[in-house]
Amino acid sequence: MAARGARGAGRSEGRYEIRHWLSKRREYARPAPETESGLGPIDGVFTKCEACNEPVYAKDFEARYNVCPNCEHHYPLAAPERVRLLADSGSFEEWDGGMVAGNPLGFEGYEERLEKARRRSGLEDAVLSGGAAIGGRPVALAVMDFRFVGGSMGSVVGERVARTIERATERRLPLIIVSASGGARMFEGIYSLMQMAKTSVALARYRRAGAGAYVSVLTDPTFGGVTASFATAADVIIAEPGARIGFAGARVIEQTTREKLPEGFQTAEFQREHGNVDRIVHRLSLRSDLERVLGYLAW
Amino acid sequence: MVVLEFERPIKELEDRIGELRRLAGPSEELQGEIARLEEALEAAKRRIYTNLTPYQRVQIARHPDRPHFEAYVDAIAEDFYELSGDRLFGDDPAVRGGFARVGEHRVVLLGHDKGSDVKSRVKTNFGMAHPEGYRKAHRLYELAGRFGLPIVTLIDTPGAFAGRGAEERGQAWAISEDLMALAGVPVPVVSVVVGEGGSGGALAMCLADHVVMLENSYLSVIAPEACASIIFRDSGRAAEAAEAMKLTARDLEAHGIVDEVLPEPLGGAHQNPDAATEAVAGAVRRALSGLAGKDPAALVESRYERYRRIGAHVAGQPG
Ligand SMILES: [Zn+2]
Repeated sequence: MAARGARGAGRSEGRYEIRHWLSKRREYARPAPETESGLGPIDGVFTKCEACNEPVYAKDFEARYNVCPNCEHHYPLAAPERVRLLADSGSFEEWDGGMVAGNPLGFEGYEERLEKARRRSGLEDAVLSGGAAIGGRPVALAVMDFRFVGGSMGSVVGERVARTIERATERRLPLIIVSASGGARMFEGIYSLMQMAKTSVALARYRRAGAGAYVSVLTDPTFGGVTASFATAADVIIAEPGARIGFAGARVIEQTTREKLPEGFQTAEFQREHGNVDRIVHRLSLRSDLERVLGYLAW
Repeated sequence: MVVLEFERPIKELEDRIGELRRLAGPSEELQGEIARLEEALEAAKRRIYTNLTPYQRVQIARHPDRPHFEAYVDAIAEDFYELSGDRLFGDDPAVRGGFARVGEHRVVLLGHDKGSDVKSRVKTNFGMAHPEGYRKAHRLYELAGRFGLPIVTLIDTPGAFAGRGAEERGQAWAISEDLMALAGVPVPVVSVVVGEGGSGGALAMCLADHVVMLENSYLSVIAPEACASIIFRDSGRAAEAAEAMKLTARDLEAHGIVDEVLPEPLGGAHQNPDAATEAVAGAVRRALSGLAGKDPAALVESRYERYRRIGAHVAGQPG
């Protein structure tokens, strides 16, 4: 369950290198975000794309929601930016803001870790949830943020996701959850594991009630307990290009089985080929794609 | 029998007693010494086995001589009508199940199987199931729901298997659909963690109305070794991680995660397998009788409430 999705990233010292988005060791190594995207004012600074090695105008990168203009590589996107990408302008109304994690096991160092993640991400935990409209259609929306302790699922992620599902059930709204997670929040031990059960009982009730359609969006990376619970128990599963998605991380698999893994293992494309996801949708088309599918399933 | 590191003092005393007995033969000469050592042995057992650390319990939960699936089935069920396959790809011997008669109850009984010797351990992949195992479980949950048969599960897995084929065939998808199925199945679900309760691969079979744990079993979001290597960057600090994660049966009972803890024979279930399997059989019968006749919708609703409340979050404005 501790699958860590992100591969080890480069170690350049450049302040605004895109590669920092990939650095799981240092979460997001950049200072606290000054703009919503978190990139900060850049004054024409070029940044280098880790995927294609080409210099990229940082403003272009930001304007394209962290998709490389040269090679179309999709980098992780901060939750508030994702909401801006998907929700009709001004329609998002946050639910359960201010909810923070306790330290149920008294795990040493957890509070400091949370504090640091809050400071760096500007978020309270690894999920942002609320009501929104997409193409004029009201939806319940939950968006995970990989910057916050690797998008790991602890009590707050579980609770906010469950409450989002419950409001969708009560109000008979379509449900959209955008996942990005390295797996379990180990500091919360069994409470982390039990969030899989919690979100599942809520989701099963949503299904039973016939309250609406659930569309899951998998982004880079989505692993562990999130993949093994609400992220895959959807009516339609969409993945972003190149996103790494799986149960156990590739490194864990290589260590335990000594198997050589094929090129592109666990990418969105691999998962579609193996029948596990429905569609691969470019980030800049995601909103219109969601409008299309909701047009079939939402009432 | 495999001797765990912390059991060495016990083993040494046992060996010395055996040696003296052999030397003494029928003579009375060494009896005093033997009696003294036997007392020391009893004291050592009490001292060691009544002060087990969480990581020592994990080691007992993994003990190769611990009773496994078949031993429990023999104790629990008067008849076990085994079923196979996921109807999609294959049959996974790491998850076994079928219909069973437990006293007056007809049930669907399933569990992880770790095997009992080298050959069967390899065959069952040490209890680490592939998606086929979880999809077989899913089939059984659906059968149980349609025929109104209560579900009994026995949990004993280091975790769902992490491998190429397992990923290709959607390990995470198989587990999430099991959770969804258990969340809504309109029959009583009783689970007993009899050994290892490794993460999602365990949870896929124990989202239940009544969860029992054997005293030395554990249930954890991650193996203590893996937790130590991620959090402390040192897998050698597994004992510390086990301590911090509160993964023992008693800890989980204290946190309200499980309902009942069954004491094990001194030293662990493998020291007296019959006593352990009988204790589990008794707990299963009691739980089934307790849940029998409940309204199916009310069962599903209370299962929902049970899992819905687990969390350690603070505040948050309603939407
Ligand atoms: Zn690029």
